[in-house]
Amino acid sequence: MAGEGKLERIERLTNECIDMCRTMLHGRKHLEALLEPSFRTHKLQRAVSEQKVAVKEMEAAVDRILTAVEGMSEIDFSDAASAGEKVAAGCDEIMEACCFQDMVGQRMSQVNETLAEIESTLAKLAEGQEAQPAPPLQEDEGLLNGPALPGAAMEQGAVDRLLAGGKGKR
Amino acid sequence: MAVDMKMPILIVDDYKTMLRIVRNLLNKLGFTEIDEATDGTDALTKLKSRKYGLVISDWNMQPMTGYELLQKVRTDDGLKALPFVMVTAESKVENVIAARQAGVNNYIIKPFSAEVLKAKLKTVLGDF
Repeated sequence: MAGEGKLERIERLTNECIDMCRTMLHGRKHLEALLEPSFRTHKLQRAVSEQKVAVKEMEAAVDRILTAVEGMSEIDFSDAASAGEKVAAGCDEIMEACCFQDMVGQRMSQVNETLAEIESTLAKLAEGQEAQPAPPLQEDEGLLNGPALPGAAMEQGAVDRLLAGGKGKR
Repeated sequence: MAVDMKMPILIVDDYKTMLRIVRNLLNKLGFTEIDEATDGTDALTKLKSRKYGLVISDWNMQPMTGYELLQKVRTDDGLKALPFVMVTAESKVENVIAARQAGVNNYIIKPFSAEVLKAKLKTVLGDF
């Protein structure tokens, strides 16, 4: 600054450095929440996996629906009874395939939840708010995870055995 | 004893697609009296206003989950004997054990086939 003495200049620069350090420390506290191993390995990686699985599930469902429709378009309607059965089977296939909307919806909810958490942390950082510790898990949160990722899910047969009193095997 | 195909069945799911799928499958099996609820609270209100023969419920719903609904049904003197089938994507061992301990009659993993639904309903209700 014009007319600023050497000592004043050093003091001003020192204060600016302190402010910068404070801002960096403040930002770091916010970012630490996102860099926590539990967030990165649990929520972030899980969200990425959920999205990949959702895309595969949509692809599989569309393939199943198209196959059913193609099959129905080739039905020989000269035999009405047989054609009726084939149409009914095709309709069942399409109906069952439509379950994908529920599965994909639940997976995308988890992705949205993770993105919202990141957005909220970044917004607080931009607004200069104090970093808050992550909220504790709800009592039944562990029972609310949505569809399992491939390899982590129990098959229906294992569920049946578990319900019958035996041991479930994945 | 033969299953009354006109008994009212309540299906509970927050995804309208699933409500339609389960309703259509039940219709195809011959069941004609089907009501729908979109979460546990809605279901509980309906369960208290009409006598149902079966509940088919999803797990993951808000504000009241299917698991909480099951617990409430099993602790209500007027509802505790009601057959309750969970149809859910929640396929962790802990979930199945929790549902079993809470008194679920059967547990179907999504996505499921019409055949699986039919087989499980036969287990719960008897042959039809």
